[in-house]
Amino acid sequence: MRLSLLLMTLGGTVAQTSVVQTLSVGGATPDLPFVVTVFLALRRGPEAGCVAGFLAGLLQDVTGGGLVGVQALTKAVAGFALGLAGGRLRVGSPLVQVPGLVLLTVGEGLLRFGLLQLFHYPAGLSALMADVILPQALYNGILGAACLVAVGLAEAARARMTWR
Amino acid sequence: MRFRRYALLMSVVLVCLLLLTIQTRGGGMGRAADVVSILTTPVQALLTKAHRGALALWAGYREWKSAWSENLVLRAENERLRVGSLQVREAQTENARLRRLLALRERLPLSTLAGEVIGRESGGWARALTVNRGLGDGITTQTPVIVPDGLVGRVVRVRPGASVVQLVNDPASTVGAVVHRTRAAGLVEGEPGGAIRFKFMARDGVGIIPGDLIVTSGQGQVFPKGLPVGRVVRVEDKGSALFHFAVLAPVADFARVEEVLLLTGETPVDLVALFRKDG
Repeated sequence: MRLSLLLMTLGGTVAQTSVVQTLSVGGATPDLPFVVTVFLALRRGPEAGCVAGFLAGLLQDVTGGGLVGVQALTKAVAGFALGLAGGRLRVGSPLVQVPGLVLLTVGEGLLRFGLLQLFHYPAGLSALMADVILPQALYNGILGAACLVAVGLAEAARARMTWR
Repeated sequence: MRFRRYALLMSVVLVCLLLLTIQTRGGGMGRAADVVSILTTPVQALLTKAHRGALALWAGYREWKSAWSENLVLRAENERLRVGSLQVREAQTENARLRRLLALRERLPLSTLAGEVIGRESGGWARALTVNRGLGDGITTQTPVIVPDGLVGRVVRVRPGASVVQLVNDPASTVGAVVHRTRAAGLVEGEPGGAIRFKFMARDGVGIIPGDLIVTSGQGQVFPKGLPVGRVVRVEDKGSALFHFAVLAPVADFARVEEVLLLTGETPVDLVALFRKDG
């Protein structure tokens, strides 16, 4: 279980730095490690979400060349919060997942921006929101929901196979 | 359980803040980052390579699919153009044939009726054409049928909308004919194999040579005088026999005849001069 968590986190992060550019739509790219974090948080609870978010964010910080710890912190908090909320909310429907992921990404972005303000990050929030956070949030919402639907279908198929 | 959960979160947050503090206070994270980079770089490279390979494969497939569908479209277009070209060529050929027929019709000093071949019988027992002119057009049996090259045959059966034309190379066909150059008389007969031959009396046929044109004699009141029938290919010397034969090449290509003229009138004029070599 821990190994799969590690592999998923690592895989998502490496994919983010290697192949995600080709998924760019109008300059917007998804945040795959974040989607993985959300997925793990929803599936395995706040601890898994927190650890996954921390690892994914840490790797992104290291490979991205920025301040190490920013994304680790924001993703860990987001993963934890979602893991907690996921147990109380009904998040199985794509109608919830898409806006939920969008809001989560926006929240994580705002958190990151707030944290970076402590370190005198130069960019303004409005430009960051318009050019980075919102497009990425939309992309994440669609991609994450698609992933969850695909996983749900795969699990349903596996369950049918088991019944037979 | 709940305490553990929050303890984990707090630990993570603390670690992050610690990391950030170290960095902002001038402490280096370079070595740790290098270690992580050493671990992740090969995986990144491998993944990128696999991704590029998959992309190339996909691009190749898309290209192949595109070329394949383009090929289908081009093939269909090619076929359509080829059919169109054949139709145009066919129309041109038909046009040329009809022009020749019309020119001959205008030259001939007797009434004629143009007919289209609508059927063929070439089994060997009988060689005949069916043309789309019959009783309603005033056609009678024995009506001569010609093309711009010469004689085709004669009508042997008339029906309401069509007539059956016995070809010159029908085994039952005989046509009174003469050698145009020497006027030696004889009979043109059809053979079961589809060839035609000129049967003549040995004493009259002296001097017949390959290339001589055989034309209708005009005797017998069936065919007008001077309709080209065939050219001598070779003369078969039968020694002391009463009749000798000359193998002929028909002037008309019976297999390709598509339009004909039916000679409904009569004329005493020798028509051979009206059949030019080029039709």
